[in-house]
Amino acid sequence: MSQSRQINVSKNGVPVIAIMALAIIFVAGLFVVGFDQGHIFSLVYGEEAFQDLYIHELTHDMRHAAGFPCH
Amino acid sequence: MKTFLFIVIVIVSGAAAGIIHGGMNLVFVEPSLDQAIGIENQHLFATGEAEDNSEFWVEYDDYRTWQKTGQVIAGGILGVSIGSLFGIIFTFSRNTLPGKTDLKKALILAGIMWLVVYFIPFLKYPANPPTVGDPETVVLRGILYLSFIAISGFGALGFYKLSKKLKTKKFIAVAGYAAFIGIMFTVMPENPDNITAPMDLVDHFRTMSAFTVSIYWLSLGLILGSLWSHYKPHKEIPPSFN
Ligand SMILES: [Zn+2]
Repeated sequence: MSQSRQINVSKNGVPVIAIMALAIIFVAGLFVVGFDQGHIFSLVYGEEAFQDLYIHELTHDMRHAAGFPCH
Repeated sequence: MKTFLFIVIVIVSGAAAGIIHGGMNLVFVEPSLDQAIGIENQHLFATGEAEDNSEFWVEYDDYRTWQKTGQVIAGGILGVSIGSLFGIIFTFSRNTLPGKTDLKKALILAGIMWLVVYFIPFLKYPANPPTVGDPETVVLRGILYLSFIAISGFGALGFYKLSKKLKTKKFIAVAGYAAFIGIMFTVMPENPDNITAPMDLVDHFRTMSAFTVSIYWLSLGLILGSLWSHYKPHKEIPPSFN
């Protein structure tokens, strides 16, 4: 039993799954706020989203305020 | 390690610090944004792209209200995102960070990360308000900024690992990183855009932006450190509960 537990735990006892989940949250959140130009919504709404840029407008002010390049 | 508790602490502290950041921005940064967007509107009227009538202002107010609501929502999202990175690095570095309590360790790490992944990149590529920036170069500017953050972050990590391996004093790692980032600072290309807004507006915006981002990092260290001290997620679950 201790064997099987060891496989999923990095050497200082942090579960790999937790680190991976947090890493995904980090990348996704950074992309949405810092860099997305409507690409996520475009998967659902098609080309229109590029014009409307819903997420972009919602994250626009924070993007400037947090120092990310914008328009 | 209590995995679920660890993740909850990381997300709660990231979200709380992010919402504080968004709220602070509403007070300190929004006035500069309003001013900068006001300049943009004048350009639109001057070039005939928009007409200065009540219809325009009704639409404009709606649009700005939506954007300002977003300030807090996006603050929460960005807060959780950066907080997740902070949580990952904190768990791996907790045993080697100076400071007797988890709160002190978290504050020290927040200070280091503030400097390495925020403040030094900010000095190279400072924040700009709306009206500054050519839409054509936004992808290039994004790549430059993100690359510089990555160079700085991995550079710091590299020198830290190197000093551990060589068992040298800590200040040698710090000096190594300082020399490295100094070189990268001069080597990396400048922001390609000219500043087209009044310089006082841009400077004021930058100061306020740096102030609220710094509040974010401070809040993140304080909240995560306090929650960690209280709930101790690094402790093993007693065998009887396994
Ligand atoms: Zn913008």
